[in-house]
Amino acid sequence: MGDERLELPQGTLDLLILRTLALGPQHGWAVSERIQQISSDVLQVQQGSLYPSLHRLERRGLIKARWGASDNNRKAKFYELTAAGRKQLDADARSWRRLAGAIAQVLDMA
Amino acid sequence: MLSDILYRLRGLFRGKAVEQELDDEIRFHLAQQADKYVAMGLERDEAIRRAQLAFGATDRFAEECRDARGISWLEQTGQDVRYAARGLWRGRGFTAIAVLSLALGIGATTSVFAVLDAVMLRPLPVPEAHRLVVIRPLVRGQRFVLFNPVFEELRRRQHVLDVMAAISDSSFLAVTLPGSPAPTYLAGSFVSGSYFRLLRLEPEIGRLLNEADDTRSASCAAVISHGFWLRQFQQSPAALGQQLRVRSAACTIVGVVPERFRSHQAGYMPDVWVPIRPLTEAASLDSHTMAFFSGVMGRLRDGVAPGVAAAALTTLYQQIEKTEPQGPTGPGRVAPAPTDYAMRLLPGAQGLGVLRDAFDEPLWIVLSIVGVFLMIATSNVATLLLARGEARTRELATRAAIGGTRWRLVRQLATEGALLSVIGGAMGLLLAWGLTPAIASMISMDYFTVVLETGVSMRVALVVAGAVMLAALVTGLLPALRVSRVELQPAIAVSGRTTAGSTRRLARHLVIAQMALSLVLVFAAGLLLRTMTALKSVDPGFRPHQVTTIEVEHEDTVSAATGGSENADARAAKYRSLDEAINRIPGVRSAALSWLELFGGSDLWLTMHPAERPEDRHDTRVDYVTPRYFETVGMQIVAGRDLALADRHGTPLAIVVNETLARTRLGGLAAIGRSIVLEYPRDQQPPFTIVGIVRDSKYNGLREDKVEPMAWASLEQWPQSLRAIAIRTEAGPDAEVIRRARAVLTTVDPDLMVRKVTTLDAQVDDTVGREIMLLQLASAFSAVALLLAAVGLYGTLTYAVARRTREFGIRMALGAQGARLVGMMLQEALTMVTVGAVVGVPLALMAGHACRSFLYGVAPTDVITLVVACALLGAVAVLAAYAPARRASTVEPVVALRCE
Repeated sequence: MGDERLELPQGTLDLLILRTLALGPQHGWAVSERIQQISSDVLQVQQGSLYPSLHRLERRGLIKARWGASDNNRKAKFYELTAAGRKQLDADARSWRRLAGAIAQVLDMA
Repeated sequence: MLSDILYRLRGLFRGKAVEQELDDEIRFHLAQQADKYVAMGLERDEAIRRAQLAFGATDRFAEECRDARGISWLEQTGQDVRYAARGLWRGRGFTAIAVLSLALGIGATTSVFAVLDAVMLRPLPVPEAHRLVVIRPLVRGQRFVLFNPVFEELRRRQHVLDVMAAISDSSFLAVTLPGSPAPTYLAGSFVSGSYFRLLRLEPEIGRLLNEADDTRSASCAAVISHGFWLRQFQQSPAALGQQLRVRSAACTIVGVVPERFRSHQAGYMPDVWVPIRPLTEAASLDSHTMAFFSGVMGRLRDGVAPGVAAAALTTLYQQIEKTEPQGPTGPGRVAPAPTDYAMRLLPGAQGLGVLRDAFDEPLWIVLSIVGVFLMIATSNVATLLLARGEARTRELATRAAIGGTRWRLVRQLATEGALLSVIGGAMGLLLAWGLTPAIASMISMDYFTVVLETGVSMRVALVVAGAVMLAALVTGLLPALRVSRVELQPAIAVSGRTTAGSTRRLARHLVIAQMALSLVLVFAAGLLLRTMTALKSVDPGFRPHQVTTIEVEHEDTVSAATGGSENADARAAKYRSLDEAINRIPGVRSAALSWLELFGGSDLWLTMHPAERPEDRHDTRVDYVTPRYFETVGMQIVAGRDLALADRHGTPLAIVVNETLARTRLGGLAAIGRSIVLEYPRDQQPPFTIVGIVRDSKYNGLREDKVEPMAWASLEQWPQSLRAIAIRTEAGPDAEVIRRARAVLTTVDPDLMVRKVTTLDAQVDDTVGREIMLLQLASAFSAVALLLAAVGLYGTLTYAVARRTREFGIRMALGAQGARLVGMMLQEALTMVTVGAVVGVPLALMAGHACRSFLYGVAPTDVITLVVACALLGAVAVLAAYAPARRASTVEPVVALRCE
C-alpha cells in the first residue's frame, strides 16, 4: 500500500488544507487524517509538514485559529476558513481543475 | 497585509507565548496520533514512538513553522550581529582602525554641520519666520548703509512690508542696574519700537516694546531677556518697574522676552532691548553721513513676493535719494546718481546674518573637507572589509555549500559593515559632543561675543543618520555583494587562486578613490598653507610685535561720536593725563591713545578738501590719536613731524596724512604746511594744518592691495571718545604693565571700562582667523586621510601578496630576482596612485576654485602645489607598499608549494 502513495505536487497541500477546512473548523491532526481518508490513503501527507503550511495560511489571513477543546477534551488549536480563504479556495480549485483537465486531455490524446 | 503585520508583530513581541503555542500544537498532534495507534492495538510506548516517526523531526518542523510565520528574520539578524561581533572582536586591530576612522569622519561631519546649522540654517523661533526679510541697501551693487532719516522715510512711504524695524546691536552697553553705583556692561540691542511686532513675539511677563516707545520722552522702556531676568532678578515679577540707566537715560523694565527667543541674530544674546529713538541723540538720528544700524529687517505683507517688494523698495529708495543732500564730488570720484541705489531683500528667517555673511563660505568649505574625509574613511573601511572577505572566501564557499543561501551570506557580511558603522557612528557622536564646542569656538566676531547653541536639531540628526547610512552602505553592502559573488565551486576546489577578479578590481577602485580624494584634501591644505605663508610675509607697514592694545569703552561713546561737545576741555585734559601716566609706567617704551584701532575692523570716512580749493572734495579715512602714536605702532614718519604735545586743545589744529593722501591729492611732499578742511556733518568745518607725512600701511587687513588715503588728527585737539590704547613695551606683553595701565585708567576715569586686552599681533592674526581655521582643519584632515589611504593600500597589497604567494614562489623557483618582485608590487601601487592622481587632479582644481576667495599669493590652480601634493601621495604609497612588496620577494619556493 505504502508504495502506491503519491507525494503531493508542490503547492497543492495548501489547496487540500483549505478544502478540508471548508467542511468546518478542525485541528491540525484531524486535517491530516481527513486528507488521507478522503483521498483513500492515496495522498501521503507527512504529518509534520502540515504545520508550516497551516501557519503560512494563517499569516496570509486565509485561515484563522483559536484554541479550544478536542473531542477527548485536550487543548487543541482549531483552524477555520476566513472569507478570504474561501475565495482563495474557489479560485485555486478552479485553476487546479482546469490544469488537471488539460493534462488529462493531453495524456488521453496519446 | 494587515493580518500579516499583526501576525509578525505578535511573533516579535510575544515570542515566548508563540513558541509555547507551537509546542502545544505539536504535542497535541503527537498525542492524537499515539491514541490512534493505541486504538489500533499498539503498546503505549510503541505508539508514541511511531507517532513521532510519522511526524518527522519536530525541531525541523518547528523551525519551518517559524519561517512560515515570518519571524525568524529577526532571530537571524540577531545571529548575524553576534556572528559579526565575534568576527570583529577577532580582528581587533582592524576593527579599531575602522571604527576610529569612521568615528572621526562621522564625528567631524556632525560637529561641523551642527555649527553650520546654528550659524546659518536654524530659523528664528518666531511665527512665520520665512516671511522675514533683511533689507540691504546697495550702491552700484556694493553693500551700503541706511541712514536713519532715509530709513524713516522709507518706512513711512512703503507698503510692501507689514513691519519694518531697524536694529543697532551694542554688545558692550553700559547699563547701571538698580541699586548699583557703577555701570555693568551688558549685551544690548537698540531697536525700533516695531521690532517685537516684526517678530510676532509675546512677552513672558509684562509687555514688549511697541511703536509708542519710539517717542522721545524723559523715561524710556526696556525689555530684558529671560536669561538676564533669571540672573539678575531670579525670575521675580518684581523686575517689572525696575529702572536701568542706559546712556544716562532712565529706562523702566516693562517686560521679559520669552525664553526660547535669543535674538534676531545667530550667536548674539542680548540681555536688554531698548528703543533706538529716545536713546540716540538728535544729531545721529538726523545724520545723513553717520549710520549706526546693524541692520534693518522687515516682514513681507501677505501675498507680496520678495522680488516685487525689492523692486518697490528700490524705486522708493531712489526717489528718496533724489532729495537727499549730495555726497562728495570731485575729480576721481563720481557721486552716485539716484539710480545707482538699489534695495536687496535677503531671506530673513535666520535673522540678520552677520555671522552667516562672515562664515557662510568657510563653513561650507570645512563641511566639504570633512565630508570628503568621511568618504575616504568609509571607502577605506570597505577596502579592508573586502580584503577580509577575500581572505574568507573558502569559509564562505563552505557555508554556501552546506546550505547558506546567497542572500544570507550577503546579509552576514553586510551586517559586519553595518555594525562597524553603527559603532563608528556612536563613537562619532561622542566625538562630536567634544568637538562641536571646539569648532564653534572658531566662529568669532569682533563685534560681539558669539554664543552658539549647537543643540542637536532635526537637521543635524538627519545628517548624522545620513552619514552613518552612507558608511554602512559603502562599508557593508558593497563588499558583501562582491564577495558573495565568489564562484563557490572553484573556490573550494583550488582555494584562493581563483578568487573573483571583480572583487580585486573593486578593492583597487576603492583605493584609487581614496588616493584621488586624499589628493584633493592635500592640495587644498597646500594652497591654504601657501596662503598663510604669503600672508605672514606681508609687510603691514607698521611693527605689531611687542604692542599691547587695550580696548576701552566709555558710557557716552555714542553720544560723543559725532564730534566735540561742551566738556571738550575736560576731556582733553583727561586724555593728556592718561597719556602721560601710561607713558610713565616702567617697561613702557611708548604709548598712545586713539579713537580707532589698527586692524580693528572699523573705520571713519570723512570728506575733505584743501582749504583754498573747496570744490576739490575727496573722501579720506580719519582717526584721532595722541602724540607718539606712530612711534608706538611702528609707523614711519617720512616727512615733517609727529603730532606733538604742543598741539594741545586751543592751538591750531594739526594733522598727519599718509603718503597716498599726500601724493594723490596734495602734491606729495609739498603737502606739508598745507591746510585741509574736514567736512564734518555738522556746522563746524575747521581747517587742519598738515604737519607730517607717514609711510603707507595696511589698515584693516593684510589682504588690502590698495592703500586708502588717511589722515590722523590730534585726539587732544579734537576730543573724540577714547576707544583704544596702544602700548609698546620693552619685551612683549607684560602683565605688570597691563595691571598698572588698568590702575591708571581707573584712577583717571572710573567710567572707562576695559573691554579687551590683546596684542597688535593677535589683532593682525584675527583678521586672518578664518584662513587659519581652514588651514588647521584642512591640514589635520588631509594628514589623517593620507594615513588612511596608506592603510587601505597596505591592506589591499598585503592580501594581494598573500593570495599570490604560490605564484611568487614559482617565480622565485624559476629564478626571478627578489628585487624584480619588489619592483612588480611597487609598480602595482604606483599604478593605483597614478590613476588616483589622474582622477584627483580635476577634483583638486575644482576644490582650489571653490576656496579661491581665501587664497592669497597663490593661484587656485597652482602647479607647484599640485605637483608637490601628487609627489607626497606617491611617496606615501611607496612607503605603504614597501612592506608587502618585501614580503613577496622573500617567499620561499617550498613554502609557496606547500601552502595549497
